[in-house]
Amino acid sequence: MLTIEIFLPLLTGLIVLALPRSRPAAIRWTALGGTFLTLLLAIVLWIGFDPGGVALQWRMTVPWIPSVGASYDVAVNGISLPLIALTSLLATLVMVYVLPERKRVKEHAFLFLLMEMGLFGIFSSQDLLLFYLFFEIALVPMYFIIGIWGHERRLYAAIKFFLYTRVGSLAMLLAFLALYLGMDPHTFSLPAIIAAQPLADQPLTAGLVLLGLLVGFGVKLPMVPLHNWLPDAHVEAPTEGSVMLAGVQLKMGAYGLVALMLPLLPQTTRKYGWVLLIIALVSIIYGALAALAQSDLKRMVAYTSVNHMGYVMLGVAVAALTTKAGIRQLALNGATLQMISHGLLTGGLFFMVGILQSATGTRQMARFGGLLGRIPVYSGIFGLLVFGSLGLPGLSGFVAEFQVFGATLSLSPWAAVLALLGVIITTGLFLRVLINVLMGEAPADMPPVIDLNRRQLTALVPLAVASLLIGIFPGVILPVIDAATRLLFQGG
Amino acid sequence: MTALSNCMDLWAIVPELILAGLGLILVPIAGLTRNRWRQTTTILAIVGIGAALAFTARMLPWQSTAVFCNTYAVDGFGTVFKLIIEAGGLIGLLLIAAYFHRSPQVGHASVAVVFVTLGGVGLAAALDLVLIVLFLQMLSLASYVLVGLVRTDDRGNEALIKYFIYAAVALAVMAYGLTFFFGMSGSLDLRAIGKALQGADPLWVTVMAWVIFAGYAFEMTVVPFHFWAPDIYEGATAPVAGFLSVVPKVAGFAGFLRFALLALPGGLARWPLMIALLAIATMSLGNVLALRQHRLKRLLAYSSIAQAGYILIAVVVAGQVDGGLSAVGFYLAAYLFMNLGAFAVVAQIERAVGSDEISATRGLSRRAPVLALALAIALLSLAGIPPLAGFAGKVFLLRAALDGGWVWLAVIAAVNMVVALYYYVAVVAEMYMKDPVSEEAIPGNLGYTVVLGLTMLGTFFLGILPAPVLRLTGMLSQLVR
Repeated sequence: MLTIEIFLPLLTGLIVLALPRSRPAAIRWTALGGTFLTLLLAIVLWIGFDPGGVALQWRMTVPWIPSVGASYDVAVNGISLPLIALTSLLATLVMVYVLPERKRVKEHAFLFLLMEMGLFGIFSSQDLLLFYLFFEIALVPMYFIIGIWGHERRLYAAIKFFLYTRVGSLAMLLAFLALYLGMDPHTFSLPAIIAAQPLADQPLTAGLVLLGLLVGFGVKLPMVPLHNWLPDAHVEAPTEGSVMLAGVQLKMGAYGLVALMLPLLPQTTRKYGWVLLIIALVSIIYGALAALAQSDLKRMVAYTSVNHMGYVMLGVAVAALTTKAGIRQLALNGATLQMISHGLLTGGLFFMVGILQSATGTRQMARFGGLLGRIPVYSGIFGLLVFGSLGLPGLSGFVAEFQVFGATLSLSPWAAVLALLGVIITTGLFLRVLINVLMGEAPADMPPVIDLNRRQLTALVPLAVASLLIGIFPGVILPVIDAATRLLFQGG
Repeated sequence: MTALSNCMDLWAIVPELILAGLGLILVPIAGLTRNRWRQTTTILAIVGIGAALAFTARMLPWQSTAVFCNTYAVDGFGTVFKLIIEAGGLIGLLLIAAYFHRSPQVGHASVAVVFVTLGGVGLAAALDLVLIVLFLQMLSLASYVLVGLVRTDDRGNEALIKYFIYAAVALAVMAYGLTFFFGMSGSLDLRAIGKALQGADPLWVTVMAWVIFAGYAFEMTVVPFHFWAPDIYEGATAPVAGFLSVVPKVAGFAGFLRFALLALPGGLARWPLMIALLAIATMSLGNVLALRQHRLKRLLAYSSIAQAGYILIAVVVAGQVDGGLSAVGFYLAAYLFMNLGAFAVVAQIERAVGSDEISATRGLSRRAPVLALALAIALLSLAGIPPLAGFAGKVFLLRAALDGGWVWLAVIAAVNMVVALYYYVAVVAEMYMKDPVSEEAIPGNLGYTVVLGLTMLGTFFLGILPAPVLRLTGMLSQLVR
């Protein structure tokens, strides 16, 4: 079942390639149908998942390169399952959003489907080589998406994105190979390596491996100082590209930190936990300040991603440093929930900015004002997403950040105070957006705006609803995440 | 007399006999045929190399042994390298035939390809210093013919002269070094030399190992013997450049590995360290210079230099860890497919547009979607992006280097792979992210289609399911000792 979920996008993509170029609508609807099927399948996987059962479910193992000790080994746990659901949801909504787009439809649909396959593969691989393979398969389409369908400086942004992520992925590959060579017999199997802890008594190698993993996942997260590709990539990418990039691709790094780095190298991560803590705090505050300095809405949302993903890093750092199992679980639950919440809210915000830009041709905050009176539906959803992003209780962002802060507070009040500073700044900047753009006076030269159409509503409402649902009833998702954080890290 | 006849182990060299016989028959046929009959030479050569390939494959399960009075090896190492060389010869020939379709050069080109292949095959198996020199010369002489195929082209003639002089000097220097090894050991047999050199003056062994390395390095395009490659690729036609970037290189690696593992056993003369330093120089220089190129053939030339540097990191550990030789073989097989795939597209662009400027590929994705896709896949594979052959190959190379404890070497190689991504992707961006200058379609023919089909199939197969080929290259460790 999981294998079908992973390869269904590829199959759809191949069908899309076979369709005639002269029928763009057929291509669009086929791609939408394929992604919708993956969403249904994700729901089936979710229903069939037993939170009280073993850590890895829906597992399937087939020998792949036996002489090297690599196998096709996929399964989901409580961390990857919500991410798979998020991926299929965002992919479907993106396909809804792009229905009328007509520029090189075939390639567009195929690349998104290929990326979806890569993302599913990442979140379900239980073999490091397979993980690496899917990791890059998910990245390459994004290069083309930015480079072909992006805005003015797309070529620059695309190559920058590609080179940064390549540095990260090769560092990760070397780290994986070191772990692999530490095993006897050599194997890439993730559960086997976690169980054996091959580098436990080699502090130097373990430190280098940690560095490799940190660079690999840190580029994607992104963490300061490896974040420099992000504003360019997000701003130059087309709306649907930004949604997938922020919504899911950043989680490749976050997932790697939580589900790979932490269980693979628990002692080493603890040893260098304070480094992670500092990086997390710097990312949180830097991301918030940089976002505050932007006048371009899309750039601002991009920088808030640095801030928001900093909370994930903070959760990981706290989980690594703490000695109390309860605190560790709280931190990791918060970090994982933050991934999902950020995917929903920031994915939605990029849709909002994209809709505004395609209607008016500008993203400058100063050009807008008083939208609430003119386009109330748009403003309503925009406001909801913004409140979610600044962590208002009742929305998913609050539940996630509350858990991370709670765990941080019990470890180090100072760190919690510094992180709270980040929250205050982002609250301020989001309120500024609300006051200036949605309320306030419309500037004299404001371009004409139109409210959401049915298609745009279809793309946005599920995100807002999901965020509300998690915010009000965290019980729908927390038991699943809890199952993973409880089982995966009980040793520590 | 009886002793000599005992050495006539003709059963062991059936593929070589096929290739040699083919070459001898084809020389007159190529000279005598006219017009449409020129195809005969090509078809015979394709069938012949295919037959040699089939016979070589049948030799895989044979026991390792040395034949012809211990001058020629029959072992897994030789057989697997022969397979790679013959496969490269076959695909290369198909590409050359497609490019020179119906032109007068096609016959001579086929003969030359057969002799280059024979030289490479011989070099992979030769255990005797004289045979090594002989086969290297055969490889080089036939390559001269290929470079100079188009006599009316000034750049081609300049390339030919350069190639001739470089090759002659490199091979002469190498032969000079080999005479020292003969003098120090009193034997022409690599294995006997290996034993004798253990007790010899290490200074002389080291100096002469360097001198001998010149000849192999020339074929492998290892810095500082790489200078010929960009000029010759640029001057020669694209399919010939593609062929020369694959078959002589594989032969060079096969020959050097046999030489180093047998004549310099156990890292004698510290050759692993020397190769490690040269690997870094080769990949770094190749990549840095590739960044500045405006012509596809020159770009691919520097890329192929950099690729040789990557392969060297597994050569370093070939005598040290289990996966070393296998990684070299696997990468060369992957390189064969992806590099010939890239040159196949460049050949068609060169024929249709009359230029190999990178700007000639602008907007190719809309002019010729299949060609653009094939070139993009080949280049991304060279860059090491999964699920393509170059990705699997690089994983095995890095694994071998790390397994041998050469962490710094693996890290520098990884840094180089990042740099390399830039120039490969620049071409991809040109094809996919810019608007075409002309909408005119690019004509192809059956030969190109077959070559593209084979190379793309190989590129994907080795990347997604590397296990069968890896099992094959695992047989490289069966080396006559």
